[in-house]
Amino acid sequence: MSAEAAFQQVHTLYSDHHGWLQSWLRKKLGNSFDAADLAQDTFARLLTARNPEVIAQPRAYLTSVAKNILVNWYQRQALERAYLEALALMPEPEAPSPEQRLLILQTLHEIDAMLDALKPLARRAFLLSQLDGMKYEDIARELGVSLATVKRYMQQGFRGCLALME
Amino acid sequence: MSAVESSASSSMLGAPSSAIASRVLDEAAEWLMRLHDSTVTEADRRAWAHWRQSHPDHARAWARAELLMNKLGGLPSALAMPSLARPSASARDGGRRAAVGRLAALLAAVPAGWLGWQLASERGWTAEHRTATGERRELRLADGSRLVLNTASAIDVRFDAAQRLVVLHAGEILIATAPDTGTAHRPFRVATGHGTMEALGTRFSVRKEDGATRIAVLEGAVRIAPRAAASRVLPAGQQARFHAAAIDAFTPADEAGVAWAQGMLLADGMRLADFAAELSRYRPGALQCDAAVGNLRISGAFPIDDTDRVLRMLVSTYPVDAVTRLRGYWVTLVPRADADAATDAGTGAHTRTATNLSAKG
Repeated sequence: MSAEAAFQQVHTLYSDHHGWLQSWLRKKLGNSFDAADLAQDTFARLLTARNPEVIAQPRAYLTSVAKNILVNWYQRQALERAYLEALALMPEPEAPSPEQRLLILQTLHEIDAMLDALKPLARRAFLLSQLDGMKYEDIARELGVSLATVKRYMQQGFRGCLALME
Repeated sequence: MSAVESSASSSMLGAPSSAIASRVLDEAAEWLMRLHDSTVTEADRRAWAHWRQSHPDHARAWARAELLMNKLGGLPSALAMPSLARPSASARDGGRRAAVGRLAALLAAVPAGWLGWQLASERGWTAEHRTATGERRELRLADGSRLVLNTASAIDVRFDAAQRLVVLHAGEILIATAPDTGTAHRPFRVATGHGTMEALGTRFSVRKEDGATRIAVLEGAVRIAPRAAASRVLPAGQQARFHAAAIDAFTPADEAGVAWAQGMLLADGMRLADFAAELSRYRPGALQCDAAVGNLRISGAFPIDDTDRVLRMLVSTYPVDAVTRLRGYWVTLVPRADADAATDAGTGAHTRTATNLSAKG
């Protein structure tokens, strides 16, 4: 399919189903601001998709794309929520400046995406080493795994990060 | 059509034409792992330097690794750890719907200006904060007021243009209000099913019980407005119980009543039955008191974050035993077995009690 035809297809999808998708999202989210944003994100994703195919069942297709976007959105929300909680608990003198807060949040989103493929225990090991500066032996003891396992986790963590670094 | 094509070709030019081979990234990851090992040797470092210089792609991969180290190194652990070490995705799934409401709550709880989310307090967020049994949490509300939730408590925070309202659904809160810095003065109110309390520049605690609400004022004053009775102003150093139809007589209040905010339960000649009821708020499961020892008078400062320790303190100081069943889930305070024969502390009974408590899972 040519780029023009693909664009036309998204355009048709948009005019036929945008309103329906937005109300589907509104039901999921319970508010229309976020639903409008995520509906836009869904169509933006379709436009940048590499190989748009001929779509036989537009609404099923749209909801499957929207679901992925929704899951990702929830993950970002959960991270931001945890971040705000941590900020709120931080003593005033130690808290970063407003500009730093935003930069840190952006970095946290990046690192979160990089560690996405790791199993919970591997993720934990990686964070204990890189954020708390714990030694591998201490991490092994804390997590109840062997030293070799911690090293494997660390290598997996670094590999996942390097893959997504530009 | 031509516009579409040209944008497609330019994005291809912009794409990294020089992707680093997967094998090289594997090696870089292994080096990162080895260099972070506390047992790394000088020989390791020399081997790494050699690897880095032996091929341009190795040097490029390592430039990426250094960028990564800069990113990770710039993160304050106190913020990054709680943000990144969240429960797994499957654990989050169940709470998704609730998560949206809680985010709104948190935005309202963050002081205005943070992260440019000043709008939060102006959009009438509906908020929900909860603590589990034994948990205690401090919040800063959007106006700078500080609020501590005691064990097993639930509140909604509803700030709008007309008022700063906290709805207490269950449990207990301690509030230190901040002066409203907005253009219009908005009263700070706490509501329970029994009525509304309006802060008059103040620090006070509110506890919701089944039939009534209890309020103690430590600084300033609070106007109590029961749902169906005339309002009265409760001054500092006083406390009162009220329900929808009436306010009970005021009695003296002091800091001891809010020592929980510092993790302490202070007792000054408190009946053991009352003490047990108070302690059980911080402890999952049941904590009961046999009527035979209910009138014992208890005094001291007890750490509510470690209720097992409080029980051990009790049995080592008073002629009581803590009988534990269901792995510590069900505790009954009873007269010590040898307390009838002698009033001094029987070491045998003491040992048995310690065994009881340590046997809990």
